[in-house]
Amino acid sequence: MSIAARIDDLSFAHPGTDTLALERVSLRVPAGESIALLGPSGAGKTTLLALLDGRLQGWRGRVSVLGAPLDPDQPPPRARRADTGFVFQEFALVERSTVLRNVLNGRLGRMSVLRALLGSPTMRDLEIARAALADCGIADLAGRRADSLSGGQRQRVAIARCLAQEPRLILADEPVSNLDPTRAGEILSLLTGAARVRGATAVFSSHQPDLARRFAQRIVGMRGGRIIFDIPTSELNEDATADLYREAEPMPGPGLRAVS
Amino acid sequence: MRLRGVGGFATSALVAGAILWSFATTDVELSRLMSAGPRIADFLGRMFPPDPTVMREIAKGSAETLRIAILGSFGAVILSIPLGILASETMVTPALFRPVRTLLAFIRAIPLILVAMLMVGAVGLGPLPGIIAIAFHATGMLAKFYAEAIDGVSRAPIAALESAGAGPLVRLRHAIWPQVAPVVARDTIFRFELNLRESLVLGIVGAGGIGFYIQTYVRSFQYDKAASVTLAVIVMVIAIEAFNVALRRRFA
Repeated sequence: MSIAARIDDLSFAHPGTDTLALERVSLRVPAGESIALLGPSGAGKTTLLALLDGRLQGWRGRVSVLGAPLDPDQPPPRARRADTGFVFQEFALVERSTVLRNVLNGRLGRMSVLRALLGSPTMRDLEIARAALADCGIADLAGRRADSLSGGQRQRVAIARCLAQEPRLILADEPVSNLDPTRAGEILSLLTGAARVRGATAVFSSHQPDLARRFAQRIVGMRGGRIIFDIPTSELNEDATADLYREAEPMPGPGLRAVS
Repeated sequence: MRLRGVGGFATSALVAGAILWSFATTDVELSRLMSAGPRIADFLGRMFPPDPTVMREIAKGSAETLRIAILGSFGAVILSIPLGILASETMVTPALFRPVRTLLAFIRAIPLILVAMLMVGAVGLGPLPGIIAIAFHATGMLAKFYAEAIDGVSRAPIAALESAGAGPLVRLRHAIWPQVAPVVARDTIFRFELNLRESLVLGIVGAGGIGFYIQTYVRSFQYDKAASVTLAVIVMVIAIEAFNVALRRRFA
């Protein structure tokens, strides 16, 4: 079984803080599967995903993504960043741009810098963007401005942007926590299904055990910056879930809200 | 409490001292103030009725002022785009944006009229020193506005494009520019309005525009002609403001 991401003894503290957001984390992400990171807010899920995406520096340990090691002090080269797609909790669309423009933004890492600056995608870029829109069921929204869409539609645009990137690893940070339960199921089904069809690996974080169980083959439980368990979905039972949340630290007061 | 009391007393004493010092060393004579009334009345009387025969000069001067404002604003935009980027914490490191911001504050601190006088000395009389002065002076504010616009955007789309493999310039083009475009347009129009108002005084120091005629007519005691030009300036300012309000509504 090949490995999409390999993490050994990883520790990280956000700049300007002393507390470790990730503490001695070791993990193997098997290629081609859907993995859920499960845990309460502040467990370190967002940090771990952003780090795998190459957007955090200054960590200790060893991390390799899609067979190439990450440099703890430097972002990965442009060409490699496009191989890892990211879906954000808050959608992260350019609100004043059209849906098609937003999806084409996923192609920016695959274009020459000149083409990207001029904003002139190739026919192939356009075809890929349109196919991604169709796969996400929003081909008819291509000309709409992002700020005119509903939450569910926005997350479909964000997933289409990620798919247009043609990633081999898809990371999704709480992709459905801003959506109602029906939309949440649809979106996670779309995300994990699209990854499966493309042979890509999907890692998504969630604080809802039910969603993790429905859409992931493996579940990694996190709490307080550590990995508590890493099990096949079939082995996730009430005890394991309760353990994640029961021993969670008391809710921090207002103004101290931990970053999930 | 005690500290505040002492501080409050010291402040009051300082303000009172400053006012007394200014009075004592400047000849603010009551008699001169009293005689000012009739003289102002006389002055206004000689301005009325405004002499309408100076329409040609008004047209020529207004057109030149407008050209100075347009080219000066254009120059300011060209300078403010790179300086605005270099003054934003979103795009560059503190080691770069701090000195650039200091430079911009320094530029803002120099009054336009002073820049214009220096430029007249450097390149001679006419609209050219006026254009350069406006471009320089306006950049201090416009580049700061552009930097604030860039720093005010939502960071999430920037992270998304970074994740997709876009470099800093591509992120500026596709994540930041669509967000700042309306703000940049509004700030630029606002600065153009200021440039037009401020360029009216440039003629007084020989840097071109309609101010030259006001200066000439006042100096040669042709107050009726000066009145016509002044009225034309007022009309122009009101027209530009109305035009701007309409434009801003479009970009809202």
